[in-house]
Amino acid sequence: MAETQPLRGPFRVPSAADRPPKQVVRLNVNGHAREVAVRPSDVLLDTLRDDLGLTGTTRGCDMGTCGCCTVHVDGRPVLSCLTLTLLAEGAEIRTIEDVAPAGTDLHPVQRAFAQHGGSQCGFCTPGFIMTSVALLARRPDPSDEEIRREISGNMCRCTGYNKIVESVRVAAAELRGEEVASVASPGDLDVPRGAYDKPAGAYRSNGHGGGKSR
Amino acid sequence: MILAPFTLHRPESLAEALSLAAKLPDGGYDWIGGGTDLLQNYKNRLNAKDHVIALDRVPEMRGISAERIGAGERLAVISESAVVRERWPGLAEAITHVASPLIRNSGTLGGNLLVETRCYYFNQTPFWRGTKGSCMKAESDECLVVPQKEICYAAYSGDLAPILGVLSATLELASPAGTREVRIDEFYAGDGIRKNVKRADEIIVGVKVPAEASTLRAGYRKLRHRDALDYPEMGCAAALRLDPSGRIELLRAATTAVDVVPHFLDFSELMRGQEPDTAFAEVAAAMEERAQPKKNTSMPVGYRKKMVRVYLGRLLDDLRAGRTEGRIPAA
Repeated sequence: MAETQPLRGPFRVPSAADRPPKQVVRLNVNGHAREVAVRPSDVLLDTLRDDLGLTGTTRGCDMGTCGCCTVHVDGRPVLSCLTLTLLAEGAEIRTIEDVAPAGTDLHPVQRAFAQHGGSQCGFCTPGFIMTSVALLARRPDPSDEEIRREISGNMCRCTGYNKIVESVRVAAAELRGEEVASVASPGDLDVPRGAYDKPAGAYRSNGHGGGKSR
Repeated sequence: MILAPFTLHRPESLAEALSLAAKLPDGGYDWIGGGTDLLQNYKNRLNAKDHVIALDRVPEMRGISAERIGAGERLAVISESAVVRERWPGLAEAITHVASPLIRNSGTLGGNLLVETRCYYFNQTPFWRGTKGSCMKAESDECLVVPQKEICYAAYSGDLAPILGVLSATLELASPAGTREVRIDEFYAGDGIRKNVKRADEIIVGVKVPAEASTLRAGYRKLRHRDALDYPEMGCAAALRLDPSGRIELLRAATTAVDVVPHFLDFSELMRGQEPDTAFAEVAAAMEERAQPKKNTSMPVGYRKKMVRVYLGRLLDDLRAGRTEGRIPAA
């Protein structure tokens, strides 16, 4: 194999020696106090995925553009890839794993995404769910226009967004206690047993469909 | 991408922040508000410093009142606040043009005013810069837009400076030497590297808005590819007041992203008593004339320049008719 060419230009490459030491920080994640050792330059996304094993929050662009890494900090949806972990100390952090904790039914927003095609490949879904949950907590009856504005910081390359807007609208109606017509989910279809093991939409909407940790 | 390594400081007061900075080497630190701009540049290894001082716990930078907005207030909080929506609806609406709702939940007013100037050759990964060759704002000493070594042509791309400028807002700058006030329309100066008159050891603590601002019709319009996330390819703001006979009494205009600094012009003296139609056309043409976009964003230079006249003309017509874009956030 050819020798790797170093990058041109005087770029600073961090070595372990010049990185400031880790320090212990107390975080409040999903209602639990967690102590974790982090470097000052660690972002919340790194800490959640790599140190706390909460891989439901996905790493998309890692640059604040795609919205995949959205988590709630003190009730507001923010980008965990651009939030320093040390600055989240003392705040209430909520991730996709807490929207419907293991062993409980899906949250109405998750169910709507699973049933109405709001989730296809599923990579962006945790971000959309967190944004939508925060929106519906503040505004129980949003117009389509408001939904589109609110999810404008999340990117989805599969659905074309119409299905996502529809999912949020359906979830909003269900959360307000209105009757919602049920849509056949993949689990209701007449598919040979073993063709798939998990209802894919539900699986992805629960934040367990993301990629591997870095 | 992994952030460039740094030591983080989190002072609890303005005095502590200033004394902390005084002990650090000159140019060896950055202030961080929301971090949505700074951390992207740190991830790209663009001018990363060894120390970062967080200002999120400085009480002097908080608070929204009828006279002043704390520079540390989050953009979403400002645009949703009753005071801002009622007194300066144009500002509340302009904030909805900044990036995305997620970024506005983190980003602060001070950070938006100090947003790093942008250029196609600067806002790139180390890998990209390693292939193309770096520019004077990053690692080398030569500009790649206009080949020379004197002036950096990175475009000022903040959305809120124009609207705050036409409202005649003033910045409170705090440093160990004391506090001084600078009008926003005199704040930006220099080029893409020097950017403004703020010294490295100064902090924007708050933005003061004069009482007169709530009597003006003001708005902001923005040219970009998508209706969210994108920085402006061109942005323009205007403030207008007509006298009882429907003639111009006050008229200010500003543009952003068409030069290394935002442009502000007060046409009130020149246009007082004129018919709006002729005045609007002249103002829009004058602002277009002043615009000097360079070929360092994604839209063509000529188009961005022409759109100054188009967007500003439409904005002034909208202001006269009392129309908004319908983007002001509900309570």
